[in-house]
Amino acid sequence: MKTPAIRISNLTKDFAVGIRGMKLRAVDALSLEVGDNEIFGLLGPNGSGKSTTIKIILGLLEPSTGSCEIYGEPSRRVSARRSVGFLPEAPYFYRYLSGRELVRYYARLCAVPRSEIDWAVDSVIDLVGMSEAAHRRVGTYSKGMLQRIGLAQALVHDPQLVILDEPTAGVDPLGSAAIADIVRELKRRGKTVLLSSHLLAQIEGLCDRVAILHRGQLVKEGRVDDLVEEKDAEALVVQGLTPEGRAAVEATIQAQGGHLARVEKPRLSLDAYFLKEVHEQESAYAAKNKAADESTDGKDGSA
Amino acid sequence: MSAAESFTRVRLIAGTTFLEAVRQKFFNSLLLISVALVASSTFFQQFDFGAGELKFITDFGFGALFFFGSILSITATAQLFFNEMENRTALTMLAKPVYKLEFLAGKFLGAHLLMLCFTLVITLVLSGILYWREAAIVAQLGAEALADGPLIRYGDVFLFGFLQWMKFGILAAITLFVASFSNTNLYTIVVSFFMLIICQLQYIARDAYSGMEAGWERFFVFGLGLIFPNFQLFNVGDQLVFDVEQVLPATVVLRMTAYGLIYTIAFILLAQLNFRRREI
Amino acid sequence: MQSILQHPLLQRTLRVLTVLLALLLLGLLTRPVEAPAWQVVKAGQPEMNLEAIEGSLGQGLVIGVLGGFRAILADFLWIRTNTVWERKDRAKLDAMIRLVTTLDPRPEFFWINGSRMIAYDVPNWRIREEGGYDAVPEARQQVLDLEQAEQAFKLIDTALDFHPENARLYLEKGQIYLNRLKDDANAAEWFLKASQKPGAPFFAARIYAELLRRQGKNAEAYAYLKELHRELPDSPFAQKGVILERISELEDELKIPVWERYRP
Repeated sequence: MKTPAIRISNLTKDFAVGIRGMKLRAVDALSLEVGDNEIFGLLGPNGSGKSTTIKIILGLLEPSTGSCEIYGEPSRRVSARRSVGFLPEAPYFYRYLSGRELVRYYARLCAVPRSEIDWAVDSVIDLVGMSEAAHRRVGTYSKGMLQRIGLAQALVHDPQLVILDEPTAGVDPLGSAAIADIVRELKRRGKTVLLSSHLLAQIEGLCDRVAILHRGQLVKEGRVDDLVEEKDAEALVVQGLTPEGRAAVEATIQAQGGHLARVEKPRLSLDAYFLKEVHEQESAYAAKNKAADESTDGKDGSA
Repeated sequence: MSAAESFTRVRLIAGTTFLEAVRQKFFNSLLLISVALVASSTFFQQFDFGAGELKFITDFGFGALFFFGSILSITATAQLFFNEMENRTALTMLAKPVYKLEFLAGKFLGAHLLMLCFTLVITLVLSGILYWREAAIVAQLGAEALADGPLIRYGDVFLFGFLQWMKFGILAAITLFVASFSNTNLYTIVVSFFMLIICQLQYIARDAYSGMEAGWERFFVFGLGLIFPNFQLFNVGDQLVFDVEQVLPATVVLRMTAYGLIYTIAFILLAQLNFRRREI
Repeated sequence: MQSILQHPLLQRTLRVLTVLLALLLLGLLTRPVEAPAWQVVKAGQPEMNLEAIEGSLGQGLVIGVLGGFRAILADFLWIRTNTVWERKDRAKLDAMIRLVTTLDPRPEFFWINGSRMIAYDVPNWRIREEGGYDAVPEARQQVLDLEQAEQAFKLIDTALDFHPENARLYLEKGQIYLNRLKDDANAAEWFLKASQKPGAPFFAARIYAELLRRQGKNAEAYAYLKELHRELPDSPFAQKGVILERISELEDELKIPVWERYRP
């Protein structure tokens, strides 16, 4: 059996609060495994222990009890982090560096060999779609761009495991969609992705498996389809049906021993609708521009 | 992971820390104020102190270096540390294969490099002004003023700068140590200033110790003198620059340097002791 | 039992104690490095009469003084001394000079300029206070000069405790005798002392010889100058030519036969 990307066993983390040292339990007896080449979602409301769990996985915090391994290596070891890329929530970077300089800096911190550094930097910048803005100072970036350049620094040393903490928080739906595309591309390249979020709609279609945390405890874990599917129900989406036809269908269902539970109008999610509309507008705009360019070219040519 | 790789990481972190610090308004305005202050020492001209004017200029320049250098050393180190903590830049770095000690050492070196810059600028400006005034005074008094040799030993200006820089190193390391267990920038700055004052004055307790009777008070004073480093040791400005009876021996300078290095490293290691346990 | 040991408060106390212990050990270990250097540095920082200073400065400034701003504070007080001097406030001037030199006795500058103010300027002010040079009788003027000179001498004597080898301080005393008190005999004594100190200006010895001549001690002056001329280096500042001139003048006055005259 292949070594899991992350193995958390019976992990508990207590924080001492105040001068008398009252204990606050952030993570409570958590056991979890994230398989290789999987997109895994760590879900939960604010304060449910997601960030603490991630910090323990990254070796930034010592667990009170229990253990955590990355590809079989204890996560508190610095060497375990060679195979990990991390994007924190709402990251801030040195504002005076350009996007490319920033990614290069992180590449050198991770000891990417000099001969490969240019290629590594360019390819991750390309992957996150920042090639055009890479020469600009980080201080001029929008939130979505910061998130993408953050992703580039997390990926620059080609880690096998990528951890994203609230990658879509505060990013507009377009940005979120772009990040989701990058995550899918990572999976295609054989990487493992662990992402935490409280914005469920944005990662619903993305994760292979999810775990739901509440007050530091694991509430549910499994494949997204398994968790949300109504196993005893099916939906038929029908178009152009007359009232008579519908009555006949209902009668047939009943005759076959079924039961019509509810009838709904199918709807797109607002996210999907928004993305569809924006894409249409973008294509129309691009076509118009192209046409305008061609007509001016033509005029120039005739002059 | 090899020592060379480790060194590269420390150098990288120090480099960005330094660049970030140099771009801070605080550093630039403090540097400007200090330079302006040192330059304003030319107002001593109006008193017509003769060659004594050079002493006034030197005292003034050394005082500015000591005073503003101490402020900068504490505030810049604290700010550079907490900026990274609050903005989560530290998180992105420590999530890489970077040791916490490397991170601390990088932060320290960045701040120390900043202090080197500051010290160099101040000593250069001071030397320039001294050179100009010395020439003017010699022109006024005639060549006989130089009969016993030059009025100023310029090497000493830089020697004083170097020794102060060593002290700023201890101070920055102390600040880093305080920052490693405190939660806010302000608390770190206040506590570090208290430490500075204690270190600057601990010699009084030590002097008093020799005259005290045996007992717990004597024991307390003895401990106090041992726990805090002696900053007064670096306060040699009055014994440099002018041709006084005694020149500061090289062995003393070496001892001071060693003392500064030992304490700097010790406080960084103590900072690491707290930082290891700290939630980033 | 284990839970008590794990208690955060106890853990924190233990950490503080560990740090203190580490610093204590470090202090002990670095003593051999630090102590000899500190001896040298401390020797260059003469003790201050703290009580005297605290009375005039206040505790806040005393901490600054002890913390390393001693020289610069003395400088600023000296500038204030200058304004007091401009206002001709002699009681305050006295106090300020004493304060500055107590605060930082190292620079000769404070001692010399302070003594000049006391010996040269204050008598003028006092004579003016009593009605001016025309109204105050000569005898009274001399009393005032003497009183002020003695105060200046006291200041220079204190300075000599700190700088026993400083030629300029001896010179200053000689000059007060010479210029203010017109006392050639005492002036000669102090110019001689000055000339015997390291780094003394060459003119100190020449003036001593001149003062001997003025007192009619020509033979003594002649012997001294011959000795001086032999010992002086060939520096342009030593002005050996001038000394030779004086020697030949004295030889004329003393009617020294040609064959016995000095030949360098």
